[in-house]
Amino acid sequence: MTAPPDTEILHAWLDDELPADRRAEVEAWLRDHPEEAARVRLWAADSQALRSQLEPVLSEPVPQRLTQLVWSHAPATLSSGWQRWAAAALVFVLGGGAGAALTWRLKSANTSAATAAASTAGWIQRAAVAHAVYVPEVRHPVEVKAQEEHLSRWLTRRLNVPVKLFDLRAQGFELVGGRLLPDATGPSAQLMYQAIAEPVAPGAPSAPADAKPVRVTVYLRKPDDDTPAAFRYEQQGRLGMFYWVEGRSEGGGPCGYALVGELPRERLLAMAESIFRQGEAAQR
Amino acid sequence: MDAPIPFRQQLLATIPRLRRYARSLVFDPSAADDLVQTTLERALAHWHQFDQRRDILVWALSIAHNAFMDERRRERRSVAAASHDLHAAEEPQAPAADIGLRLDLVAALGQLSVEQREPLLLVTLEQLSYAECAEVLRIPIGTVMSRISRARATLRDLLDGRPPHASRGLRRVV
Repeated sequence: MTAPPDTEILHAWLDDELPADRRAEVEAWLRDHPEEAARVRLWAADSQALRSQLEPVLSEPVPQRLTQLVWSHAPATLSSGWQRWAAAALVFVLGGGAGAALTWRLKSANTSAATAAASTAGWIQRAAVAHAVYVPEVRHPVEVKAQEEHLSRWLTRRLNVPVKLFDLRAQGFELVGGRLLPDATGPSAQLMYQAIAEPVAPGAPSAPADAKPVRVTVYLRKPDDDTPAAFRYEQQGRLGMFYWVEGRSEGGGPCGYALVGELPRERLLAMAESIFRQGEAAQR
Repeated sequence: MDAPIPFRQQLLATIPRLRRYARSLVFDPSAADDLVQTTLERALAHWHQFDQRRDILVWALSIAHNAFMDERRRERRSVAAASHDLHAAEEPQAPAADIGLRLDLVAALGQLSVEQREPLLLVTLEQLSYAECAEVLRIPIGTVMSRISRARATLRDLLDGRPPHASRGLRRVV
């Protein structure tokens, strides 16, 4: 190159905006003009300094008002999500026991709740879809029936998180079975429970003989990160969902749970508490 | 219809980058977060205008840019209304001392006109391409190139303690 490149071209070179041939020309010219090359290096150093000075902002915790703003602009069914969440917290306070433990978690996770919601919402959606797809299934609601002994071992092995077959008979539901499902980043599992013909729990709906059985599903997956998320409730139309992430478990890393069902929140809550308690017991 | 959940998730993911960009524009952390808040509110109100094939960060940055310009216009008007020196409102706000940045660099950055500062930040800090930068600022790529060229030269002059080449009048052109 004989004529010196335009200053703008030098900047474009620095910003990697030039096509390969042009880039080579500029580089050749810079090799022959050390003084100009030093000037370009200074610009590069300034850019680098700018980046490194402002880099820390990226790792600052995001103010809650900002994350909350994004979530509170919710679709109609979610519009009162935060109030519902608060209401759920209150129920726990009254519930005591595991409830107290969960409430404590909820408090401690309060600042990151919205952030956690951001990362969990995707798999919650998949849990809801999986529920909607398999619950109406009459002949093949599950892949492996509850009676088969290897169900728990099989899902545990495939998910790489311990899959416990929770006993919800006290809540009027018995295990139908489970299936393996694809999640965004790996396998997930769905356990399906069905209302026992003669409801045990007071106030449970007594279905007519030809009605579809009432079913709830528990969706389990290995969470994307190790952050235990707050216990949360979400309602999508008639579908209610409790979901949370267990921080530690005996046979591996944390596990995300979503309990999904078309049931009043109180009944789902009783089941969620039971699942949580059984998970806790397994860890001891 | 309200913004769908996947959109919210995408938007949430942009917040750290938006905060950094806002901080580099207005320096004061809480004023910067106010700008981010305005940006998020507008994005949520206009989510249906977002083309999923595009990069949401570029889209959000363009909203931040517009919000920032609106803010400046409003300030200028209110200052004018209060019959203060119009000139004062056009000057970048003085960087706060507690932002933990190297003061000379930030002070120099604050000395750049907004017209030069924004392209420089978008390209060097946010690592946008010239085309994306042009899209955010709604200016031609050629203008992006000339502004970046002058921004780097001015910044270097300021850091070297030289008076910037361009006179006051020139700082605001293009």
